[in-house]
Amino acid sequence: MKTLALLLPLAWRNIWRHGRRTLILLSAIAVGVGSMVLMSAILNAWSDSMLNSALVTLTGDGQVHSPGYLDDPDVTRSFEPPASLVKTIKGSPEVSAWAERVRVPGVVMSERASLPVTLVGVDPEAERGLSFIDGAIRKGRQLSGSDDRGIVLGHHLAERLQTGLGKRVVLMSKDLHGGMSELGYKVVGIYAASARSTEMRYVFLGLDQAQKQLGLGSKVSEISFMLHDRSVLPGFLGTLRREAPQLDIKGWKDLIPFTRALLKMNDGFIQLWTVVMFIALAFGLVNVLLMAVMERTRELGLLQALGMKPRGILVEVLLESAITMGIGVLAGTALGGGLVLAFHNGIHLGGLSAGSEWFGGGRTLYPRVSQGELIWPALFVWVMGTLVTLYPAWRAARGLPTDVMNRT
Amino acid sequence: MESIVSCRDVTKVYREDGIQVTAVDEVDLAVTPGEFVSLSGPSGSGKTTLLNLIGGLDSPTRGDIAVAGRRVDHQKKAALAELRLRQIGFVFQAYNLIPVLSALENIEFVLQLQGAGRKERRKKATSMLEQVGLEGMGDRRPAKLSGGQQQRVAVARAIVSDPSVVLADEPTANLDSATAFSLMDLFARLNEEKGTTFIMTSHDPRMIERTRRNVELRDGKVARDEAVR
Repeated sequence: MKTLALLLPLAWRNIWRHGRRTLILLSAIAVGVGSMVLMSAILNAWSDSMLNSALVTLTGDGQVHSPGYLDDPDVTRSFEPPASLVKTIKGSPEVSAWAERVRVPGVVMSERASLPVTLVGVDPEAERGLSFIDGAIRKGRQLSGSDDRGIVLGHHLAERLQTGLGKRVVLMSKDLHGGMSELGYKVVGIYAASARSTEMRYVFLGLDQAQKQLGLGSKVSEISFMLHDRSVLPGFLGTLRREAPQLDIKGWKDLIPFTRALLKMNDGFIQLWTVVMFIALAFGLVNVLLMAVMERTRELGLLQALGMKPRGILVEVLLESAITMGIGVLAGTALGGGLVLAFHNGIHLGGLSAGSEWFGGGRTLYPRVSQGELIWPALFVWVMGTLVTLYPAWRAARGLPTDVMNRT
Repeated sequence: MESIVSCRDVTKVYREDGIQVTAVDEVDLAVTPGEFVSLSGPSGSGKTTLLNLIGGLDSPTRGDIAVAGRRVDHQKKAALAELRLRQIGFVFQAYNLIPVLSALENIEFVLQLQGAGRKERRKKATSMLEQVGLEGMGDRRPAKLSGGQQQRVAVARAIVSDPSVVLADEPTANLDSATAFSLMDLFARLNEEKGTTFIMTSHDPRMIERTRRNVELRDGKVARDEAVR
């Protein structure tokens, strides 16, 4: 304690001895740490956007299927939703939205072209807050209910089929009995999605209408649900699995493994960014501190001549860097946090939207940073930044104090 | 009387660019407590090197050195630092005060290193500042003091912990004559009143005259060792 009482004021005053140089160094640390915080907030936003886009594209937080459906989404893998399971989902306070769907492969034909699609039978009311289709209609109207006899096509699909609102298309798919069902529908709505592939892939019918066409009765292909709080998903999946052990019940991580992998990669980017920024910072810091130590050879020699032990010199130099790093890291965290706060209403990607959409992200990113993401990288930079100055500190401590006698 | 500083057969050889330079050559020297010794000689005669060796700032190639009965040669750095802290005071040609500390804090620094309490430090340092004629200037940083004033602070710092010996390397070289004489008077007074042992290097005969014993070095060897007054 006595040593600290001696060295702390000395270290503090030494830091501010060359005020301008210290301020430049602090600015460099602050900008580095600030950009680390902002970058991780943007990558978080991108992850959120990617995940939300994937979840609302007919995934939800979890789904219930017949076993084998995910590998081969054939109409024969439809199932009668168990009443107890439906009751559990309906009555769970954790569930914010849920819906039953028919989802089978089919072919849509216009007068000009025919294309493979996925036929999705939905209850438009139930899809509210669950999937993108609720707010995606750009032309025409939404399906009015499960028994609506119209069809909703994606914008790009309609273009490829050279069809449009009010025109008729024929939807062909295998029915439950193994025959081909073929029915004509009037195009009542054109939707736009964040990804072109979504628009090309999905065509929407009323749930009742789809069940009728495919001879499913009250059978469905899937039940999808969204939760208020995603963190309770594992527990909720367990409850559902106990309720219907014969069905295949999965969370989003198993349903969309590509997105999961991208999110993991994103986390890796954040860590990599932290390390790269730290290395850049470390070089600058060691350079500046080494210079500062070398130009103070005489002074540090003087401290030794006066009787300070080499360990004291080491602590003195380390204290200076710990304080400098500490102030820089705090300023950087405040800067980064401030920038995240300033952009909390979202950053519109403008010309970069297409690239983001290609990876499943949205047009607007909402930067977000957790308390841990503020604290841990800051601590890492502070501790490592202090440790990298061990070398100049060690050099200072092992130097001979003879210099002080010889120089004028 | 037992020596406070003793050098026996002390030799220091440097190697510079492959050339061997003998800075101090088989020097024998004994200084008893209360002596006021000057080391004189031309540039390169080995004065500063010998002072460095006595102060444990450098280690001899050969020979034994002891200060206050403790061996200085070939000690570990931490042990040497401890020895310097307790037994040796330094005064440097370039004053070498710690620039970020005030005059008073510079004097206190050594006491703080020794682990003295705040009140004791302040009392001793203030008294020492008065003894060197700088009362009222304690809160000034070195940059706000003249060369002579800085050197007085350095002297106060060197003697505040009552060391066995004060080593002064060309302490008057950067001062004008009047300030230099005044500093020598201060050394003489401290030597007489407190019995502080001084060993100083100088090549100025006017300063050497004010010491009691002069050891003249030439080419690293003791050429003459005589009483001055």
